[in-house]
Amino acid sequence: MAKKAKQKFKNRALIALALTCILGFGVGGFGVFNAAVIHGEEYKYKAKSQQLSDITVMARRGSIYDSNMNVLAKSADAWTVFIDPSEIKNEETREIVAKGLSEILEVDYDSVYEKCGREKYSYIRIKRKVEYDKKTELEAFIKANKGLHRIIGFEDDVIRYYPYGNFASTVLGFTADDDVGRSGLEVHYNDVLTGTYGRYITAKNARQFLMSSDYDSYYAATQGASLGLTMDQVIQYYLDSALEQAVVDHGATYGYGIVMETKTGAILAMSTKPDFDANNPYKINNEKVLEEIDAIEDEDEKNAAIAAARYGQWRNRTITDSYEPGSVFKCITAAAALEENVVTTDEMFYCSGSYQVKDRMYHCFRREGHGREDFVTAMKNSCNPIFIEIAQRLGPKTFYKYFDAFGLTEPTGIDLPGESIPKANVTYYTANRFTAVSLASCSFGQSFQLSPIQVINAINAIANNGKLMQPYIVNAIYDETGNKILQTKPTIKRQVISEHTADQVTYLMEQVVKSGTARNGYVAGYRVAGKTGTSEKLPDKTYNISSFCGFAPADDPQITVLIVVDEPKSGAYTGGAVAAPVAAEVIQQTMQYLNVEPQYTEEELAKLDMKAPQLVGSTVAQATKDAKAIGYNVKVIGEGETVLNQTPVAKQVIPKNGIIVLYTDSKSETKKVKVPNLCGLSISDASRVARDAGINIKVSGCTRGTVVSYRQSIATDTEVAMGSIITVSFKTEVNVQD
Amino acid sequence: MAEKRRKNSFLFAEGGFDIPFLLIVLALLTIGLIMVFSSSYTYCYYNKGDSLHYLKRQLAFAVVGVIVMLLASRLNYKIFKVFAKPVLSVSFILLVVVLLVEPPAGYENFHRWLSVGPINLQPSEVAKFAIILFFAHHMSEHYRAINSDQLSNASFAQGFNQNPGGIKIYERHVCLALYIAILGATCFLVYLENHVSGTLLIAALGVMMLWLAGYDYKAFVIFGIIGIVLVLLVVTKPDILPEHAQPRISAWLNKDFDPRGARWQTNNALYAIGSGGIFGVGLGNSQQKQLYVSEPQNDFIFSILCEELGLIGAFAIIGLFIALVYRGFLIGIRSRDKFAALLAMGLSFQVGLQAALNICVVTDILPNTGISLPFFSYGGTALLMLLGEMGIVLAISRNAKIKKV
Repeated sequence: MAKKAKQKFKNRALIALALTCILGFGVGGFGVFNAAVIHGEEYKYKAKSQQLSDITVMARRGSIYDSNMNVLAKSADAWTVFIDPSEIKNEETREIVAKGLSEILEVDYDSVYEKCGREKYSYIRIKRKVEYDKKTELEAFIKANKGLHRIIGFEDDVIRYYPYGNFASTVLGFTADDDVGRSGLEVHYNDVLTGTYGRYITAKNARQFLMSSDYDSYYAATQGASLGLTMDQVIQYYLDSALEQAVVDHGATYGYGIVMETKTGAILAMSTKPDFDANNPYKINNEKVLEEIDAIEDEDEKNAAIAAARYGQWRNRTITDSYEPGSVFKCITAAAALEENVVTTDEMFYCSGSYQVKDRMYHCFRREGHGREDFVTAMKNSCNPIFIEIAQRLGPKTFYKYFDAFGLTEPTGIDLPGESIPKANVTYYTANRFTAVSLASCSFGQSFQLSPIQVINAINAIANNGKLMQPYIVNAIYDETGNKILQTKPTIKRQVISEHTADQVTYLMEQVVKSGTARNGYVAGYRVAGKTGTSEKLPDKTYNISSFCGFAPADDPQITVLIVVDEPKSGAYTGGAVAAPVAAEVIQQTMQYLNVEPQYTEEELAKLDMKAPQLVGSTVAQATKDAKAIGYNVKVIGEGETVLNQTPVAKQVIPKNGIIVLYTDSKSETKKVKVPNLCGLSISDASRVARDAGINIKVSGCTRGTVVSYRQSIATDTEVAMGSIITVSFKTEVNVQD
Repeated sequence: MAEKRRKNSFLFAEGGFDIPFLLIVLALLTIGLIMVFSSSYTYCYYNKGDSLHYLKRQLAFAVVGVIVMLLASRLNYKIFKVFAKPVLSVSFILLVVVLLVEPPAGYENFHRWLSVGPINLQPSEVAKFAIILFFAHHMSEHYRAINSDQLSNASFAQGFNQNPGGIKIYERHVCLALYIAILGATCFLVYLENHVSGTLLIAALGVMMLWLAGYDYKAFVIFGIIGIVLVLLVVTKPDILPEHAQPRISAWLNKDFDPRGARWQTNNALYAIGSGGIFGVGLGNSQQKQLYVSEPQNDFIFSILCEELGLIGAFAIIGLFIALVYRGFLIGIRSRDKFAALLAMGLSFQVGLQAALNICVVTDILPNTGISLPFFSYGGTALLMLLGEMGIVLAISRNAKIKKV
């Protein structure tokens, strides 16, 4: 019995042992085998895919420089700040995090607070493109509060700076959040600027911290290359400001302008106004457009309008848009005719005021006609009938030959995106599609469309001894260490007209500026050659496009300039009245900046400004005598014997007959005067008003014929030192038709 | 072999103890300590600021534990009989008290711990010991009655038994009722702690003790049926479980359930085992302990062991556990009395059962129920108790008829 009981106990214990080992450890052991061997590879792969971090090593985007290596666009390191809301355990922490982030990053508290509450998420982005100083501040905040390092994190990001905001923004373009170019040079040269991303593969832990490991491997990134532009920051600034002012002055829709280096076709400046702020490209810059958008009530329409406005402001309209060039085109017609010897400059014509082509009657804008005139005068008068006549002499075939030769049937191929592509028999006529009537309209620049870059490039061929250039804006490409890896060489596309013909057309154009329709384009000392254009905008012809295209100096052209003002609404609407003064301003400033030596005619010399003499240190009597000897008026302030100070100071340029204020007493304060209104006056009236007020004026712009001042550099009623110099701009007020 | 009867004093035992058992325990303890350090240093670095945080504590408890074990092994095991009822009473008191004490922050739903200074006592650990000790004592006293048709002489039973031809109440049934009552009450209280795995383990231990005591097969068929019904019920209607346990069942049934939440720990344990493969990535080289396996030093320490030491290392550890259980079984069946046998087997089988359950959980064969791996998982008080219990087994071994090495 005892033995049997003992055996039973032993059996029971054995069964318990067996069950524990087989059911427990057997199954458990199988579980290990299953996970380690049967599913081993699968689990191992999943483990590796969560443990390995494959980081893209960002390649820094290249910079964009102007021709003097001034930075126009540059990338810098930035960071994206994110939070892990699942780590926020209580209300107190949530408030601390929301408060800190909203204050440091300048984001909305409520929005951050709300994001902190999404406890199911472990990654929510708070702000992108956070700069270094903000990141440092945030790191200090994280350190100061316990546990925040588990909640707030940083990721590498990059930020693109455009130091001057909307400076040349339609040319430079901008990059989107993904660091990819979206417009302008940024998109055209995106591949060059981007470089090649690298990779860094290493182990990480579950909180994404990287760990040193035997696994890591590094593939270095290649930094993006940089662009050196032909654009000159200073000339661009002249063009930008002149155009911007013109758009405001004339209530115009747009202003486009290009300054080209005549001999190379390099773009020195290129501007579309209004443009946008490249640092904030999605903001609509045009207040008028913004008001219109705000007025839209329908949400979908509104969004569509916003999108359209954005795309609109990003466009570089100097290359994407086309327009009827109008009378500017007469230069091309003249060049063709002179080259083909169907006309000479001294050939006499008779303008009766109208010209009949088939059943169509063309009128000269001067209904009574210009009467007898030679070809030079016809050009100066921009006389349509004469140009219709010479186009008929050329015939459609030859006319088209030159149209094509001047590069007007193809894009110029400038290294910028979105250039408009001419379409045969849509934007222009081919030789076999010309009728006598369409040939007539084409002769004076109507019934076909060109882009501004095409127009300036064609006119530039005339300035450049008949050589048509390939326009370009990127001068050189530099690698990350600054080595030049590519240098653009100017490319001559072809000789379109002979040098002789080019000289003849230049002569014609110089006459147009001297005493023709483009007198407002005149710049003393620099022989400007140019032609104005005014064309009615289709479909309803309510608005005009006013333009001026020219170059200077005529004997050795350095720059070619095109100014187009789209839909001027100030009353003035002709190219001569609207666009030519803008061009004159740009040409004058650019010529001086480029140190082109002015060559004055006798007539110009008579009106020329002079440099103020050094009078400080002389006795009052001597100083007065010296000043008067060279034609200056003197005003003495103080009781002293010797001149202690003078306004304007020595070597400052002041007009003849100007005033110099001499201070003889160290105690006497600078004498202040109020600036009078100098607008709407003739040159002599303005000079008198200025003299009476005790200030000097510097005359700028067109000074020939009946001219009226339209702008002054210092506003009326501003207090200035007596003897200060104020620049007053003049132009002819006559809307001379062209 | 000539039997040499050793003379025991009332308090102390004479003679050598079972060296293999001691070696197995020390081997498991040593490897366990190494694994606690290896698996916890990253976790400690990020959460405690000191990579050695857990190792230091576990080591301190291990040293004290080994001393306690050696002291306990000197005792005459018979004196534990005296403690059977008091320990059971203390166990019940603790199980009630723990329900009344505010749990620590972050564990609001889990009334599992009683904290006194550095001691974090789990009353359920005490309950396991209490059940084994009390059952061993009571069963040994009633072993003959349980295994025979002895009528109960309890006062309430005498009425029936003296009535010829009526229903007979046997002593074994009275005992069974007592065991089931004690086991049921303990399980119920542990279940109230929201401690499902503890409940299951205690129930399994109790049933195993009943089995060893020699109860009829039929009873275990009924237990088996009840168990199967409960499992089916839980699987089909998880919402009868406490709220915290439901997602664990869902996560076990559906392998795509909440991968960043309920299945995170299990998935990462599997990834760790898979990464280890057959030979392992080498001690200390686990990647999955880099915060992927949450609290890798606790219930899932075995997955890190698998990753670092591979299938071979894991099987070696399983072998050590089996050896421990087998040695406990040998000590048991060669003991001189039933109390010693039941106590030694109960204690060593408890270790084996818990280890096997833990490994099944880590390998996703059972739901993630929160069961620790003896000698490995971090937890000083539990380790201390465990080593004390191993000391008792060693004490019993001094009087067992086994070859002393």
